This record gives sequence, C-alpha cells and structure tokens, in this order.
Amino acid sequence: MAVMSPPAQQVVEGLKALMCDAVPSAREITFAGLSRAAGGLSRENWSFDASWTDVRGTHAYPLMLMRDAAGTLLTTERSREFHVLKALNGSAVAAPVVHWMDPDGRFLGAPSVVMERVSGSCDYMVLNGSRPLPERLKLAHDFLELMANMQKFDWQTHGLGECLGVPQESPAKTELHQWEAEYRRVQIEPHPELDYVLSWLDNNAPDAEAIVLVHGDFKPGNALIEGNVITAKLDWETAHLGDPLEDLGWITNPVRKSEHQIAGHWERAQIVAAYSKLTGRKVSDAALTWWNVFSCWKLSVIQLTAVHEFVSERYNRVFQTPSWLYRPMFHMMSGAR
Amino acid sequence: MRPTVEEQLQGTCRILETVVAPCVSDSYARTILDNLIANLRMLKVALPKVAGFLRDDNVATLSLLLAMQPALKTDLVGRIDTAAQAGDPDVADGAAIEERNRLLRALLAEAVCSPDLTPEIRRSIEIHMINRAARAPMRYVPNAPAIITSTPET
Repeated sequence: MAVMSPPAQQVVEGLKALMCDAVPSAREITFAGLSRAAGGLSRENWSFDASWTDVRGTHAYPLMLMRDAAGTLLTTERSREFHVLKALNGSAVAAPVVHWMDPDGRFLGAPSVVMERVSGSCDYMVLNGSRPLPERLKLAHDFLELMANMQKFDWQTHGLGECLGVPQESPAKTELHQWEAEYRRVQIEPHPELDYVLSWLDNNAPDAEAIVLVHGDFKPGNALIEGNVITAKLDWETAHLGDPLEDLGWITNPVRKSEHQIAGHWERAQIVAAYSKLTGRKVSDAALTWWNVFSCWKLSVIQLTAVHEFVSERYNRVFQTPSWLYRPMFHMMSGAR
Repeated sequence: MRPTVEEQLQGTCRILETVVAPCVSDSYARTILDNLIANLRMLKVALPKVAGFLRDDNVATLSLLLAMQPALKTDLVGRIDTAAQAGDPDVADGAAIEERNRLLRALLAEAVCSPDLTPEIRRSIEIHMINRAARAPMRYVPNAPAIITSTPET
C-alpha cells in the first residue's frame, strides 16, 4: 500500500469526519486515488473516489474536494459556492452536483466543499487551441449560451437572494465598493495608478438593467469540456447577484482576448450581437466599457492579493504589481470620456 | 565581488533545474518549483536595474506633483512642497531611496483623485504612469499549466 503524505493523510481524516457528520449512518467508508491537482490558484483541489454504505445502500462516487488554500488569490466563502451549486442542481446551467460542505474548516482545517467530479478537461486556451475553427466557434457560442442560461436562472425562487445578498444600490457600485475594500485590505504600498482608475470607476458607474446571477470569473479555464460539450461550469466561489453586463464585461475585456475571443470571428462586436440575440438585452457600449475597465481593475486587485499573501508567507507563487494592466485601462477610459 | 549576485542567482537556477527538479515527482510541487526558477531568472535581469529605476521615478514623480499643484488642495500642495524641499537621498542609500519613492507615490495617489484635474493634467498623469509601467524592472512570470484534467494525475 502506498504511503500517504502528511497533507493527504490529513485530508482523508478530515473527509471521513465530514462524511460521518453529514451521513451519520455511513460505514465502510473508503477513499481511493486521492491526489492534489496541480491547478487551482486560489484553493487546493483534491480528486478521489469515495465509497460507503449507509441506511440507503452502498454508494460510489468520483468526487472533488475544494479546500481554501492557506494563501489565496481570492478571499471567498465556500458557503457561497455550496448554496449556488445546490440551487443550480437540475437547472439548464451545467454545474457539478455538490455533496457536503465544511464551512468553517472544523473537519478539514480550512473551509471546504465536496462535489461530484465531472468528466472532461479544463483548457484555458481552448478557443485559440488546435481544434478546427468551427469547433472553437461552437464552443465560444456554447459558453455564451451558458452565461445567458445563468442570467435567466430564477434566483429569487431558489432563495439565492438570502445567501448571496441583493445589491441595495447600483450593482456596479456594490461590486466596486466590495473590491475597493479588498484593495485596501491587501495594499502594502501606494498604487496611484489603481487609485486613479478607482476614482474614474466611482464617478462613472452605470445602472443595471436587471439583477441576475453573476459567475464572477467566467472563463474557459473555469469549465470542463468533453469532446465538443461543456460538461460543467466550475469555480462558483465568486458568484453573486449583480449586473448582467458584469460577466459580459469580463469576457470582452481586451487584455484577455486570447482566452475569450477568436480573432476575426468572435470579437467584442460578435459577442455582443450574439448576447443580445440570446438574452433580448440591448447592450450599452459605455456601460460595457465600464465593466471592461472594472474587470482589469479587479484583476489588478486579485494580483495584489497574491502579492500580499506571498509576502505574508502564506502563498507559494510569486506575483508582481500588475503594471501591464495600466495602459489598457487608461486607453479604455480615454475612449469613454 | 565574485560570485556576483547575478552569478549566484544564475547558479541557483541551474542547480534547481538540473539537480533538484528531476527528483520532484509531485506535480503540484513541480509546478511551484518551475514558477520559482522562472522568477529567479527574472530577478537576475531585474535586480541591477531597481536602484536606477527608483531614483529616476522619484525625479519624475516629484516633477509631476509640482506640475499638478494648481489643481490640488492647499494641504496637499504644502506636503508636496515639504517633500520637494527634503531633496533626494544619497544614491548609495537604497532604503532611503525606496522610502522616498513610497512617500512620493503616496502623495501622487492622493493627488490623482482630485476633482479639479484638467484634461491636460490627466494626460500627463497617464503618460507618467504608462512610462513608469514600461520601465518597471520586475515582471510577473506566468507559469501556470494551460490544461488540467478532472481526473487524477498518474
């Protein structure tokens, strides 16, 4: 039998304790093939096969454990992800079935969620990879349709307003203020560039046409694909209720074109036209530009979080001040003036 | 002084790559190691440029702050004048140069939020910031895997 590393042993013990708490009649619990995936910048992702017997019979599932890393790029709540995935179960939005949650890390040492391991591969660059153009265009459209389905999801009926919170002012202002608080929390030196952009964002925040479920990090890198089918949208820990243009602003953000767009075929104009067709919403170019700038600014804050965690000796990757984002932000702001 | 800092960083990267990395079989640990080696290589090139960059930036930032004074409140104008009178630290005092950079950038962070900035001043601010970003010697070195499978790695 292979000897487990101390972290893996700790995970197994924590998982057993979590399971016994969630399923008190569980016995003959086994976890096989436990391994930590190399990806995951904001948390630890552990893959394993679980089997157990309880009063309802014998069960076997391929599962994933998502556990908050000691240091992280994103400060999030596991309970947010758990409740969103519970609500999405059975909806038109492809997402993993969630099983259990350790909200305060009582069992696993850090807040954690256990969910179904969906088959498929995660490819950040799938839209600009080696697949033929028609396949990539289909996937790009499917991603957008997934976003549209998410925005059509009836969050009120599923009680998400209570656990996610409904914005009390413009969703743009709500998000900005939340990320400003994160910026001030992690800032370890002056960043006049980010204060300058923040001031512009604060003075130009748009109103929202509707309040919808927002993913918060909508990208191919947060999805699983099998063949030509998106099998699951992952990483719901930053999901919230907000402006429909927020996720659209994230994918039309010019600094991440290589992830979200296909040159000459699936660019901002085509994405916006397809989005309007799918949702029936007319998109204000000025409002979308605001969300593009916000996306860059938020990305800057996420990088500063990584810097903060690295110097605090809690994060194992080295990040730098996000100076590469300044020029595109200023360019978009100038265009909007 | 030999080996120089650059030579030591270069040698450390070589040893990590040729001696340590081949023995690291855990995929997570290997990803982290690759990221650290890539960052050390970036530091080897960046390190000799840091002091000069900070000295030049202090001069450029103060010059911008002085040009912005007509659009700023009296209190901030006074603090900029005080910073200007203090003058630049000794070129050999790296810590003092770094601290002055921090002070001047804190003043700039305040100044750029002034509601009375003219379009010309905004343009100057953006040019200053873009030039600074272009010259910043430290660079993020991406080293994340592009494809991750949902199944356990063997």
